[in-house]
Amino acid sequence: MRSVGFLVSALVALAVLGPMLAPHDPTAINIAARLSPPSGEWWLGTDAFGRDILSRLLHGARWSLGLAFVISLIGLIIGTVAGLTAALGGKAVDWAVMRVTDSFLAFPELVAAVVIAGILGGGINSLILALSLTSWMRYARVARGVGLSLRTRGYVVQAKLAGLSPLAIARWHYLPSLLPSLIVVWTGMFARAILGISALGFLGFGVQPPMAEWGTMLLDARIHMRAAPLLMIWPGLAVVACVLAINLVGDVLRDALAEKDSPQ
Amino acid sequence: MTRSLLGLFLRAFVVLTGTALATFTLLWNAPGDPALAIAMARFDAVVPADVIDLVRAEAGLDAGFWAAFRGWVVPLISGNFGNSSVTGRPVWPDLASATSYTVPLALAGLAIGLAISIPLAVLATRHPGSWLDRFAVGIASLGAAIPAYWLGLLLILLFAVKLAWLPAMGATTPSHVILPALTLGLGVAAALTRIIRSGILEARGQPFMPALKRRGISEHALAREHVGPHAAIPVITVFGLELAFLLEGAVMVEVIFGRPGLGSFLVGAIEARDFPKVQGVVILAALLFVGINLVIDVIYRLIDPRMGTQNA
Repeated sequence: MRSVGFLVSALVALAVLGPMLAPHDPTAINIAARLSPPSGEWWLGTDAFGRDILSRLLHGARWSLGLAFVISLIGLIIGTVAGLTAALGGKAVDWAVMRVTDSFLAFPELVAAVVIAGILGGGINSLILALSLTSWMRYARVARGVGLSLRTRGYVVQAKLAGLSPLAIARWHYLPSLLPSLIVVWTGMFARAILGISALGFLGFGVQPPMAEWGTMLLDARIHMRAAPLLMIWPGLAVVACVLAINLVGDVLRDALAEKDSPQ
Repeated sequence: MTRSLLGLFLRAFVVLTGTALATFTLLWNAPGDPALAIAMARFDAVVPADVIDLVRAEAGLDAGFWAAFRGWVVPLISGNFGNSSVTGRPVWPDLASATSYTVPLALAGLAIGLAISIPLAVLATRHPGSWLDRFAVGIASLGAAIPAYWLGLLLILLFAVKLAWLPAMGATTPSHVILPALTLGLGVAAALTRIIRSGILEARGQPFMPALKRRGISEHALAREHVGPHAAIPVITVFGLELAFLLEGAVMVEVIFGRPGLGSFLVGAIEARDFPKVQGVVILAALLFVGINLVIDVIYRLIDPRMGTQNA
């Protein structure tokens, strides 16, 4: 668990402190220094506009990690509400909510996100909308599953007999037991959101230039693959490192959860 | 069985209708005047207002949401995908040609993925916890974290730019499919290795395994007759999900490698704001996806007699 704490604080620090640690302005154009190799002045070199790669990576961390946090949180809220509505709402509501969930699940998420973000036009708002609309379904499934399994538990039946409203039951009796499973799903969706943000950026439908974002940086770097292959390496490494770290956190949390549940 | 099959078809129908409605709603409410966009694309100049109104009427955009939706869906049922709003040509021939590039790519990617993941998982589970096992799991975790577009760029850098062994851009010769398929296949392999590995381990942990062993059934027969089918069930489930991955991956990979498949078709249609093309590719993707998942569900019920009896 200690390694999890370390990884989580490192990621939070990267997102919060990253831009402050940047040695240069990430959008400052310096044509004289274009495509510089790594040096004392430019630790990771510069891009085709002479912008400092390290500074752009550090600023990009705020987009990737910050937006992924927001997107996965919106997904978590939509999904939990949908799942609990299905579990508590009775047979007809359950059927309707789950068919909507299936419809969303039935379509490749990234393709749907590309269509939504592309049609609404590039920009942060359509990016958030596109990725959160396509990432709530797993939470809904988990929330419904746990919700249905709790329905016949003694304390839930008791609460119902005591006249507690469905909303109060959801809040006080379902949510606490649900939270650990939701957090495990959340880590997976957080990692997917990072991949989604950079994929949309790479296609030109995400965060717009000149703002530094890892996907758009890759898009820029692709043109200069022959002259400056290193340009392409850094943003990709940043994505992989973050996704790997988050997946590791998710694995540890899932194992801890399985251990906690097994003796009962 | 018939009852649960009927349920599956009903579900597929609901999903397809939902996708069509959602896509159409999104495009209907897209920012900007679609009639203006069509007129601009067609005449490539400043267009007077009455011409825009003419285009609006011609494209059926003045009839209201439901009339326009019917105007798209009713011909669609008989296989008519409508005409491109930019070129005025039918959407279907272009869509069919794009599909003929994507399907071989996806199949090749899947084949590479299976060719890597099955042997790797079988070797890894021979001695669980060994260095080989940990290596396989580590590689699979790493593979799951590498975005397809970056992997594709790295492969281009290595095999096309540095070594100059393989062509990178376009789709003119059969060797053009190698790098894109490898990009897709490595991603598929990463996901499948973990699933096949845990499928095999779970099958080995079943209570009937030691019983069979004590009855003197050989390791080999055990693997073929019992572990294999048991491990196949989760793999088939994931197959449907992998399909989504293949489609998603194909979109990115085709854009990177400049292959004229469905991915490039979709991105090009969005950039040109050619909505009939966007609708066409979305519906075709949904149809492919729902169709194949339907087949998987049926196979599932044939392999595992426990499925489909309780809650279909």
